[in-house]
Amino acid sequence: MQPIDWIVLFGVLGFIVLYGVLKSKNTSSMEGFLVGNRSMPWWTVCLSIMATQASAVTFLSTPGQAFDDGMRFLQFYFGLPLAMVILCITAVPIYRKLKVFTAYEYLETRFDLKVRSLAAFFFLILRGLSVGITVFAPSLILSTILGWRMEITTAVIGSMVMIYTISGGSKAVSLTQKYQLMIIMGGMILAGAIAFSKIPGMSFGETFSYAGNVGKMNLVNFKFDLSDRYNIWSGLLAGLFLFLSYFGADQSQVGRYLAGASITESRLGLIFNGLLKIPMQFIILYIGILVFMFYQFNQPPLIHNTSLWNRAMTTEYATKLSALDETHSKLFSGKREQSLVLAEAIRKDDQQNIDEARKKIGVIEKEMREVRDTAKEQVQKATGEKGSDNDFVFINFVTTYLPHGVIGLLLAIVFSAAMSSTASELNALTSTSAVDIYKRSIVTNADDHHYVLASKWITAGWALFAMAFAIWVSNDENLIQRVNIVGSLFYGTLLGMFLSAFYIKYIKSDAVFIAALIGEGIVLSVWLFTDLAFLYYNFIGCAAVVGFALLIQFIMNQIKRPGS
Amino acid sequence: MSTGSSDERPPVFKRWKGWYWLVVFVLVAQIIIYSIITNSF
Repeated sequence: MQPIDWIVLFGVLGFIVLYGVLKSKNTSSMEGFLVGNRSMPWWTVCLSIMATQASAVTFLSTPGQAFDDGMRFLQFYFGLPLAMVILCITAVPIYRKLKVFTAYEYLETRFDLKVRSLAAFFFLILRGLSVGITVFAPSLILSTILGWRMEITTAVIGSMVMIYTISGGSKAVSLTQKYQLMIIMGGMILAGAIAFSKIPGMSFGETFSYAGNVGKMNLVNFKFDLSDRYNIWSGLLAGLFLFLSYFGADQSQVGRYLAGASITESRLGLIFNGLLKIPMQFIILYIGILVFMFYQFNQPPLIHNTSLWNRAMTTEYATKLSALDETHSKLFSGKREQSLVLAEAIRKDDQQNIDEARKKIGVIEKEMREVRDTAKEQVQKATGEKGSDNDFVFINFVTTYLPHGVIGLLLAIVFSAAMSSTASELNALTSTSAVDIYKRSIVTNADDHHYVLASKWITAGWALFAMAFAIWVSNDENLIQRVNIVGSLFYGTLLGMFLSAFYIKYIKSDAVFIAALIGEGIVLSVWLFTDLAFLYYNFIGCAAVVGFALLIQFIMNQIKRPGS
Repeated sequence: MSTGSSDERPPVFKRWKGWYWLVVFVLVAQIIIYSIITNSF
């Protein structure tokens, strides 16, 4: 990091915080603080929705995932556009018509207070844990890259978000997210362009061909396999349920489109999210492929988390790690040679040489992977830290190979992405805590000023909780999947409650309340005792709630029936 | 199901069905394109 990087980093972050504070002054009512006076145009709604979903983890882990596993993660998002259409037809008009602050308010009008409170409680658990991880993931990576203590990176992210979310509430969140997403995507594309420019003598089209030949262009897999996380069926079916839950029953997204100026603006925001989300993920994944391509011709580090590597090299494992590093370098020299042959063969459309080089690269790559896996084990033993090295692929590339100034911009992107998701989550946790719990069940008769003030204190409380949780939580699995797993444990149940409310008039409050508790028990049991891909939890939870609610309602009707 | 009062909607967005079909069409088109990419490269 040089002075220009620090100037860019703090310039971007300072602009975002100041803009958020200045543009959302005069937020003195609950309507203003929690749903931005319902005044946002559709493009702000759309960008706000996209920025909320795309956390820092998205921009750090996703390119690393493509680097390691190819493009197949894209299929995860195939259910999203369908979810947008279904929500535009069902949830949006209902929420807008009732002028609710939170999705859970609707459940009281349809069922009763206990169902609303249970849904709010589930949401507070899932989002309360997630917001900690949303802060934790980038804090960990930034602390590694910047050499700061994790408490400092966590405090920087948390306090900057606190400034504008407490000052301006939902409006500040939406307005800042608009610029955050623009800066994020601009910076990511710039990083991808620089990676491409450093790949020797290859056109953009040839990068597709090269990536395909080494098995990275695995965009669509039609094979049905329940234990496979990413294929078209898990994307369309399980992904549909996940995104219906996330956008229909998770206040951090519902709050975003409730801020739309009209039903039209809310709907268009969701529709454009449905149109743009998959291409956006494609771009982010392909940036990972370009980094992968770059490392076909340039020596990659054995371990991308260089801070962890340096620590391991000060232990008794150093000799063994040096030997592994040497083997890795030798293997890379051979692979680089074959990579050049493959690139040349692709250019000349020489199928025989393509096949030969591809086979040789495959063999060397297998050996390199074994060396890497052994090195990861050794580093873990040496440092006692377990973590996904893939999360460091992109950021290590950025800090090692990008020009100064751009490094500052890319780090600003990571902070911005962390701040944009955290801001929405804090705003949603505040709305739910303030409206569904505090105003509904604790202090029911105060004036608007009291509730705005209470909401600001609640925001501060959740922000401090998120920071404390981020510092406390330990790193033991791939970050992006952890965020999704926490959500999936509760989303299905929440969705089941909402689907029962929207579509099945037969189901009444007692039945759905008991069914929700049973459904949640089933999901937690599946999580604890089976290996089923977590994407299916949403479907199971939802089906269990709807199924049990119907059954319980039927039994209750039978019991109530006179003479039975 | 209600789709909101007509005064909330500018004329250009009256036909929501068109937007929904557009989303579905774009999704199908993307799946086809990505399948072609998967099989071609």
